[in-house]
Amino acid sequence: MRLLLCLLLTPMLSRSEESPSFRRDVMPVFFRSGCNQGTCHGSARGKDGFMLSLFGYDPKGDLFRIKEEMVGRRINLAVPGQSLLLLKATGKVPHTGGELFTKDSPHYQTLLRWIEAGAPDDEATVPEPVGITLSPDRIIFEGQGTAQQTRVKARYSDGSERDVSSLALFATNNPAIATIDDQGVVKAGGRGDTTVFARFSRFTIGSEVIVLPKDTAFHWPDPPAVNYIDELVNGRLQLLRLLPSDLCDDETFLRRVTLDLTGTLPSVDAHRSFMSDTSQDKRSVLIDRLLADPGFTSLWTALWAEMLRVKGGGYAPSATDVKAADVYYEWIHDQMAVNRPLDRFVADQITGTGSNLTSGPANLYTMLVHDVKVTPKNLAADISQLFTGVRIQCAECHNHPFDRWTMNDYYGWVSFFTGIRRKLGAEPREYYVFNDLSAAPAKHLIDERPMPPTVLGGEAPVPSGKDPREALAEWLTAKDNPLFARNLANRIWAHHMGRGLVEPLDDMRVSNPPTNGPLLDALARHLADSGFNLRSFIRDICNSRTYQLSARPNATNAGDTRQFSRSQLRRLRADVLLDSIVQATDGARSFQYFPSGIRAIEHYPRTPGDTTRPHVGDPFFETFGRSGRAGVCVCETKPEPTLSQALHLVAGDTVASQIGTGQVVLKLLNANATPQAIIEELYIRALSRKPTEGELEKMLTLVGGATRDRKVYEDLFWGLLNSTEFLFNH
Amino acid sequence: MRRSTLCLILAVAGRSAAAEPVVTYNDQIRPLFREHCLKCHGEDEQKADLNLSTFAGVMKGGSGGVAVVAGRASAGLLFEAITAEEDGERMPPKKPPLPKEQIELVRAWIQGGLRESSGSESMVAARDIGFKPAVQDWADGPPPMPRDLPKVTVPSSRRPLPVIALAASPRAPLLAVAGQEQVRLVDSASRDTVGILPFPEGQPNVIRFSRDGHVLMVAGGKPVQSGSVVLYDVTSGKRLAQIGDETDAVLAADLSPDQKLVALGGSGKTVKVFDTATGRQIYKLTKHTDWVTAVAFSPDGEKLATSDRAGGLHLWDARGGGILLTLAEHKASVRALSWRSDSRMLASGGEDGLIVWWDAKDGWPAVTMPNAHPPDRPPGQYGKLANGVLALTFGPKGELLSAGRDGRFTLWSDAGRKLSTHQSEGGLPLQVAVSLDGKTLVSGDEAGRLQFESAVP
Repeated sequence: MRLLLCLLLTPMLSRSEESPSFRRDVMPVFFRSGCNQGTCHGSARGKDGFMLSLFGYDPKGDLFRIKEEMVGRRINLAVPGQSLLLLKATGKVPHTGGELFTKDSPHYQTLLRWIEAGAPDDEATVPEPVGITLSPDRIIFEGQGTAQQTRVKARYSDGSERDVSSLALFATNNPAIATIDDQGVVKAGGRGDTTVFARFSRFTIGSEVIVLPKDTAFHWPDPPAVNYIDELVNGRLQLLRLLPSDLCDDETFLRRVTLDLTGTLPSVDAHRSFMSDTSQDKRSVLIDRLLADPGFTSLWTALWAEMLRVKGGGYAPSATDVKAADVYYEWIHDQMAVNRPLDRFVADQITGTGSNLTSGPANLYTMLVHDVKVTPKNLAADISQLFTGVRIQCAECHNHPFDRWTMNDYYGWVSFFTGIRRKLGAEPREYYVFNDLSAAPAKHLIDERPMPPTVLGGEAPVPSGKDPREALAEWLTAKDNPLFARNLANRIWAHHMGRGLVEPLDDMRVSNPPTNGPLLDALARHLADSGFNLRSFIRDICNSRTYQLSARPNATNAGDTRQFSRSQLRRLRADVLLDSIVQATDGARSFQYFPSGIRAIEHYPRTPGDTTRPHVGDPFFETFGRSGRAGVCVCETKPEPTLSQALHLVAGDTVASQIGTGQVVLKLLNANATPQAIIEELYIRALSRKPTEGELEKMLTLVGGATRDRKVYEDLFWGLLNSTEFLFNH
Repeated sequence: MRRSTLCLILAVAGRSAAAEPVVTYNDQIRPLFREHCLKCHGEDEQKADLNLSTFAGVMKGGSGGVAVVAGRASAGLLFEAITAEEDGERMPPKKPPLPKEQIELVRAWIQGGLRESSGSESMVAARDIGFKPAVQDWADGPPPMPRDLPKVTVPSSRRPLPVIALAASPRAPLLAVAGQEQVRLVDSASRDTVGILPFPEGQPNVIRFSRDGHVLMVAGGKPVQSGSVVLYDVTSGKRLAQIGDETDAVLAADLSPDQKLVALGGSGKTVKVFDTATGRQIYKLTKHTDWVTAVAFSPDGEKLATSDRAGGLHLWDARGGGILLTLAEHKASVRALSWRSDSRMLASGGEDGLIVWWDAKDGWPAVTMPNAHPPDRPPGQYGKLANGVLALTFGPKGELLSAGRDGRFTLWSDAGRKLSTHQSEGGLPLQVAVSLDGKTLVSGDEAGRLQFESAVP
């Protein structure tokens, strides 16, 4: 072949000083300047015809789009200073994003020198960032307005380090407490604690900021610590100069712990015996008794069934028939009854295989789906959110912007579930769940390379040849996997304390740190060390002084909702509330599609139709925000009090009809109880406490001469059951 | 001369017909359907009212629409269904896609005209797409070459501009090549630079010679600042006219064969057609939904083809601006358009890797070449690699030269058969031209260089 080249211009350039690297120097400019954020060119379809990968997850693609997609358009190698990229960024030509930096800025110089060098790629040669640090890692301010400079350093795969403060992005979790500007200067705001962040490359890192009031006298009373929980909570309170509230009284404790551990109110007898008990350790004895109560098993069965989306239907193809739901529910109940270690409980479900009508744990793969078709990506997202609290689905289209997860993590994780199949069994309702080991792994979004099953943060895929879910379960539930233990500890803690150390419970990420990190770590460690023993873990929580604090605030902690310096008011869950009304009134309540005699806490949604849509199963549950189980998000359970809830209790049929059904007052009248005794019992039934002297006096005045009038007492009872005190655990 | 050309065409046509395998419903396609499709689309069950077990059933189609269109695989639902990318949309459902050879078999059957048996006629009307050289419509005279062009100084640049525009004179051994704020005229025989036309307007994005070779059209500008079209006299280098005053560089432009019209377009998504004598806009085409990437007048002056970055391609009445045809085949940006000199065929190439030869009479895609520039996939690399077609041009004898993201420029016969291919030496080949005599292929590359190859292997 004859080949002749014609040189039109003299292209030989003298090799000048080292040119900026595309990946190491140029990509961070796009990141810092906001070019590749979601509202600008980082949008999936780009902006004004030009696309960059969101937060720079795809440097190779970005280089292609800048240099080769439209040669001659975006950069000008002949006259670098006239490159559209530079003219746009400096606002010299119309640009939706305006002027991002000036011609004399280092960012401009970086881009210009890179284009002058011929806009070279450097894929094979450039070291990659492997982590960043933000220093100092904790800032304590005394008084508003003080400031502190932070620095961001990046570590690279070749061991080198670089100050990247001028290329990082900064953010604060609460600007009312601390702000951080684009130079990394933190300024103190109002009293409290928060976290400021730096982001660089695919990393996010936080520094804690504590703002204390200036010059206030603070005396730490050194309250006693029952166990490690109190030590860590007290340490935090002392640091933040918050005083814990006093211990709650016995009646409050009795009601609180009975509701928290069994989902029921203390009975009149239980109240009597606990209040007459004078022993020192009566609270911990009560805790042990409640942990052994069947109500504890029912409550935790209900909590798991809600998280695991147990719903029974009548549409066979989605494999979620009532019979399947029942098998799953009973299996969960059995596990809770025998106090099955939670790691085993979860592992059994992760590796669940077999018929949905006979194998309880296999129904993880029917109840998380509620569909005819199994979508591996949805399973991957749900299982991560449930058992690690990580929303890994954020890494489907780009590296997780506020956490350490990459697209590699995501697709490797999805591949654990690409083989999940359901085969029709002996009858239309029956499906066999199994993992097809020959199924192809998920493909990476950018280059479509197959991504074999790999655990989150894993370096290499799990061994092939056997069901990868076994390796997944082993990794997930390992004692030293903080993701699993922290997630479980946080969820269990939140049930008893009214708030998780991380909120929302199912959004664990670097940029959403716990309000007390050492405490969450210790809780997770103790949970793991106990062999994931649910009852022993809860015993620690309930025995702590922290759990037993009063809800009444003092001068320092009225504003505290994050540090557990006092008990939080919590509206009763929908099912617990309904059971409590029935229990207080000796009433009875039945549910559609269930035999009579079951309690609300034992109820899960059943429908004759298909189970895809949200179902709560009873109008009362609807009003009081019970989860419709349309997804795994904890946000489906609505804890807020609403006007319609108040109206339902006042004017709806529940309270009034249960009072009529139970005939509590009639029985007391028939037993010739005195007006005082009747009023006291109604108080104990509804509020688990005796009326105060003032209350008793007022009540007796209201009864007046009608001492044998059932209607008057029932009106009083109605009033108690409509009180805020009844509606809340406090 | 005329006779020998004809012989060549017949020979080529004959060879290509013999090379095409004859695929029929009875021999290859029904057994294939039987293996994969008839369980759901057969005698017993007809999902979506589709029965593939008889030839008549296939022709009838299903409730979703037409299953197959003779000669156009891309137009029927059947081929779309078996080649769908998404797992949920592809047939057969919940199974891996059909093997490549089987998909090719179905394509060949459809493209070949849906023959029922070996005795059946192809349902695609026999089309004579052979090239018939157009009659010379310009006055004879010496080939217009630049003579004593004034010496000009152009701004210095760090390195050559990539060859983002290139054209070969249809009457002289002359090439016009884009440079920064200039156009270089190169003798295609000696390969010497014989003149420089300054283009202070900015970057030349499009260069075209007039049909008589006397006028050079240069279109371009400065991105997001200004754009226009300038006409030069080739022999004297004089500027004849400047047309258009755009707010962004002109990305697509052409001069009509009678030199009376200039069409231009760009990021404004409209095509504007101007009168070269008055500089006034005559009409505007607003059908495009994305940046206009190429415009081309047919050599007979009757039609105007325009394309956009979303794959849109339209054919207009060049005089009045009325729509004639919409040519739907491209799935991504159309990068280049070229008319064959007999005005019968329009070629389009795009970022979807497809080259189509359109019959300008009825808009029929007479030749489709998918993956015209397939990139080599290094071992261990996955995914879709960009295999876009960047440029194409018909040569004087009806042959087609194209360049693509595989880094090659490729010559195709007038029947669409690959003749030769060459690796570009200076990065991507961005533009291509064929010399006046058809003997030399020219590619302009990213490094700003021209590469010459012989058309005869």
